[in-house]
Amino acid sequence: MLQQILDSVKIFQPEITLVIVLCAAILIDLIVKNKPQFIASIVMAGLFVAGYFVIQQSGVAVSIFSNMFVVDSFSVFFKVIILLTAIFVVMFSMQSKELNNGKRKLGEYYAFVISMTLGMLLMTGASNLLMMYLSIELTSLSSYILAGYKKETPDSSEASLKYIIYGAVSSGMLLYGISILYGLTGSLNIYDVNQVIQQGGVSLLALIAANLLMIVGFGFKISAVPFHFWTPDVYEGAPITITAFLSVASKAAGFALMIRYFFVGYYDPLASAINGYFTTIGGFDWHIIIAILSVATMTIGNFTAVWQNNLKRLLAYSSIAHAGYMMMGVVVLNNEGISAIMIYFATYLFMNLGAFYIVMLIADKIGSEDIDSYKGLGYKAPFMAVVFAIFLISLTGLPPTAGFIGKLYLFAALINSGWIWLAIVGVLNSVVSLYYYVRIFRNMFLRDIDIEHEPIKFSPSHFIVALLLVIPTLVLGLYFGPLVDFAQASVGILGIK
Amino acid sequence: MIPLNYYLALSAILFSIGVVGVLARRNAIIVFMSIELMLNSVNLTLVAFSAYLGNATGQMFVFFVLTVAAAEAAVGLAIIIALFRNKMTVNIDEINIMKW
Amino acid sequence: MSLIDILFYFFATIAVVSASIVVFSRNIIYSAFSLLFTFFAVAGLYVLLNADFLAITQLLIYVGGILVLMLFGVMLTHKVVSVDMKTGTLKILPAALITSMIAGTLIGIFTVTDWRVAPLQTGDPIPTAKGIGEMFMTTWLLPFEVASVILLIALIGAAIIARREKEAK
Repeated sequence: MLQQILDSVKIFQPEITLVIVLCAAILIDLIVKNKPQFIASIVMAGLFVAGYFVIQQSGVAVSIFSNMFVVDSFSVFFKVIILLTAIFVVMFSMQSKELNNGKRKLGEYYAFVISMTLGMLLMTGASNLLMMYLSIELTSLSSYILAGYKKETPDSSEASLKYIIYGAVSSGMLLYGISILYGLTGSLNIYDVNQVIQQGGVSLLALIAANLLMIVGFGFKISAVPFHFWTPDVYEGAPITITAFLSVASKAAGFALMIRYFFVGYYDPLASAINGYFTTIGGFDWHIIIAILSVATMTIGNFTAVWQNNLKRLLAYSSIAHAGYMMMGVVVLNNEGISAIMIYFATYLFMNLGAFYIVMLIADKIGSEDIDSYKGLGYKAPFMAVVFAIFLISLTGLPPTAGFIGKLYLFAALINSGWIWLAIVGVLNSVVSLYYYVRIFRNMFLRDIDIEHEPIKFSPSHFIVALLLVIPTLVLGLYFGPLVDFAQASVGILGIK
Repeated sequence: MIPLNYYLALSAILFSIGVVGVLARRNAIIVFMSIELMLNSVNLTLVAFSAYLGNATGQMFVFFVLTVAAAEAAVGLAIIIALFRNKMTVNIDEINIMKW
Repeated sequence: MSLIDILFYFFATIAVVSASIVVFSRNIIYSAFSLLFTFFAVAGLYVLLNADFLAITQLLIYVGGILVLMLFGVMLTHKVVSVDMKTGTLKILPAALITSMIAGTLIGIFTVTDWRVAPLQTGDPIPTAKGIGEMFMTTWLLPFEVASVILLIALIGAAIIARREKEAK
C-alpha cells in the first residue's frame, strides 16, 4: 500500500505543485504585507511549473491512489487549457484597476485562484464519484469566495450569495444521485459502476432518476439551461477577471468531468469495437437528454443575449450559448465528437478571454460596461477596438478566425454521425449570435463618427497581453493543423479503446 | 426487522422537505438550513445502503459530505453577514438589484 | 414489534416532524432549534444502521459546529431586541402538496427498484472507528487530503469575506 501511494505521488506533481504554491502564497502574504504583484509573480511561476509537469505527463495512462484519480491524455489536454486560462487570469488580475485600488488585500485572492485551479485539475482526472464531488466542491467554494471579492459593492456579495445557494442545492442533488447510483451498483468507482451495469439487472428507472439528479450537478458547473440562473448575475457581480476564469476554465473542467463520467460509466466495450461509436448500456440513452439540454442551452443563451445592454451580462449569455454548442459534441458519442469539443475549447479560450480582457480594459478607462458607452470607441482606441472586433468575429464563428475552425469541426462531427437536425439548430443559433455581436461592432465603428474624440491611452503591457490573445485567435484560424493533431491524439480516456 | 425501503422512504421525505424549503422560503439562513436537511437525507441514504450492501464505502462518503457541509455553511454564513452589512437584509426577495 | 422497530419509528417521526418545523415555522429561532432535533434523530438512525462512529461525528459536526454557526448567523443578522423574529413564510397547503409529490415520485421509484442487497447484519455491532481510520490512511488517502485543502480554503475564505475592510489608505 505504501509503495502504491509513493508511486502515485510521482505522477501527481502538477497538483502537488499547486498545493505548495497555495500554502506559499498564504504564508508569504502574512510575512511580506501589501505586495500583491510579488505574490502574483510567485503564483504565475507556480502555474508554469505545474504546466511543465502536465506536459511531461502526455502519453501516460495510469490510475493512481487506489483508482481515485486517473492521468491520461484526455485529462492532460484539459489541464493544459485550464492552466493556460489561469496564467492569463493572473496577468489580467495584475493589471485590473477594479482589484488594485488599494481597498483590499490581494494575497489571498491569488491563493484562491490557485485553489480553484487545483480543484479544476482534480475534476479533469477524477475517476471516483467521491473525488468528482470533492473536486467540484473545491472549485465551487473557491469561486464563491472569489465572486464575492469586491464585497464593498452590494452586487458582488449578492452575486456570491446567489451563487452559493444555487451551488449548494445543485451539489445536494448531485449527491442524492450519487447515493442512488451507489445503492444500485455498490461502488463509487466509475469503472466498477460500468462493470455492474454491463452485467445487467440494474433497474432502469432508478438509474435514470440517479442520472437526472447528477445532470443537475454537472449542468450547474457548465451552466447549461435550465441550471444557468446563477450565471448572468454572478458574471456581472464578480470581478471581471474571475468572470473570465469561470467562463472558460470552470466550463472546461465541468465538460471533462461530465464526459469522463458518461463515457466511462456507460461504455459498452463489445459494441464499440465494431463500429467506432460508443454504445450505451443498460438501456439508458443518456445522450438524448444531453441533446435536448444542448438545444435549450444554445437557444435560450443566444436569444437572451440579444436583449442585454451590459457587456458582462451579454458575454455571460454568449458563454451559455457556447456551452450549448459544445454539448452537441458530447451527443455524437464518438472520438470525433470529443476531439471537436477539445478543438473548440482551445479556440474558445483565446477568443473569450480576449473579449473579457478588452471589456475589462475599457471599463477601467471609462468606468462603464454599458454597450452605449462603446459608441465611437473605434476612434478613441482604434487598436483595442479592432482587436475586440476580431474576438467578436471569432465568437460568431466566421473565417478566418479560430472560432470558425472550432465550429467547423463540431458541425462536421455532427453531420458525419447523422445528427443533421442538431447541426441545423446550431447553425441557426450562430446566425442569431451574429446579431448581438454586430450590435457592439456597430456601436464601436458606426456611431458618433462626427464628434471629436479624446484618445484613450493604454500602457505597453496592455498591448502585449492583447496581442498574446489576438495572435492565437488569428493564427489558429489559418494554421490549425497542429492543434487538430494534438486534440485528435488526446482523445484517449483511460479504459476506453 | 426494518426493510431498506423504509429508510429510503424516510430519506426521500426529508429530501423533499428540504427542496420545498429551498424553493419556497425567502430567508437566506432558512434556505441554508433546508440545504442541510437535503444533505442529511443524502447521508441517511448512503448509510442505509452501506449497511444493507455490507460495504463501508457509503459510510466513508458520509464523512466527506459532513466535512464539505461544514465548509459550505461557514462560507455561506460569511457571505450572508457581508451582505447584511451592505444591505441590512437577509431576504432573498429584497436582494434584487440584478434581474434578467 | 421489536425494540429496533420501535426506535426506528420514533426517530423517523422526530426527523420528519422537526424537519417540517424547520421549513414551515414562522420563527427563525424555532427553525434553528428543531433542526437540532432532526440532526439528533438522524444520528439515532445511524446507530440503528451500525454506524456508531458516524453517529458521534454527526453530533459533533452538525450539532456542535454547523448548528452553532447557524445560530450565530441568526443572531448577527437580526437585531434581536428591536425587530420581531418573524420571517416570511409559505402557504402550508401548496408546500405540502409539492413535498408529497416529490417524495411520492422518489418513493415510487425506490419501491419498484430491485436493490439486490443482503439482509442487515444482526448481533452485536462491531465498532467501526478502527476500520474507518485505516481506510482514511490507505485507499481513501487522496480524498482525505483534498478534504483538508477544502477546509483550509473555507477557513481563510470565510474570514476574508466576513471581516470588515479597513478604509483605503
